[in-house]
Amino acid sequence: MNRELYTKLVDLYAGYELPAELEDEMIVAAGNDPALASDMLTLRAAVDALQNDQGPSFTEESFQRILMKLYARGVDLHTKAPSPTHLQYQLPIQG
Amino acid sequence: MASDSQQDSLAEKRWLHALAKGDPAALGGLYEIYGERIFRYAFRMLGNRSDAEDATAETFLRVLRRSNELRADAAFRTWLFRIARNLCIDRMRQHRLLELPNDAHDNGTEERTALKITVQQALSDLPADYREPLILCDLEDISAKEAADILKISVPALKSRLYRGRRALRDKLGGALEKVL
Repeated sequence: MNRELYTKLVDLYAGYELPAELEDEMIVAAGNDPALASDMLTLRAAVDALQNDQGPSFTEESFQRILMKLYARGVDLHTKAPSPTHLQYQLPIQG
Repeated sequence: MASDSQQDSLAEKRWLHALAKGDPAALGGLYEIYGERIFRYAFRMLGNRSDAEDATAETFLRVLRRSNELRADAAFRTWLFRIARNLCIDRMRQHRLLELPNDAHDNGTEERTALKITVQQALSDLPADYREPLILCDLEDISAKEAADILKISVPALKSRLYRGRRALRDKLGGALEKVL
């Protein structure tokens, strides 16, 4: 296979979309081509960094704040999650 | 035994049926299945927790108000992400969000923690055309077909944006990436 084709396949290699045989073939080709090797290595590292990103945590506070926003807009929402403590007891100020 | 995704799919069907019948528990059930994913998506689109919480609440409010638009054979998740996306885009238009995510935390090495923050920063700096496919396909693990449906573009166009986006992200990460190689 020629170099031009390998260059075009780098995106698929980086995204783990190539069949194992073709991936092995590319790795062998990259052994003799530093530019191709660098492109493959850095692009896959970027994809790995993205895919390993755990993302923002969905905290209990966020879960409850979103529920409160929906209650405030008049939505009668029922979830299995326990109500926040401050809503479980009727405080004197609430009458 | 059914997997989590199969159980979610069964629960989703049950809640959508209940939503169509006007059962008030239905929206809560759907929020429990999809609330976290929509929040994470909105956070990555908008870059901060407060706006992400607002957008998530508004998304589920619209689900309730527009439930009559949802056909029985339609893909609910695609429809839901489309609503969330439109809301995020509206919000981004309303005010240019420059705040960077401030609660990135990681249990890994210092370099990996630094890379994570840099990934989030680099992602925020990408044009929306590149950022959206990366969020949907690489971060939310949504298939190219479904992501294309959410973005209302063809699968080849989605793939083209995804590949260009990955290269743009790699270029922005630059030195941070070399430290973990």
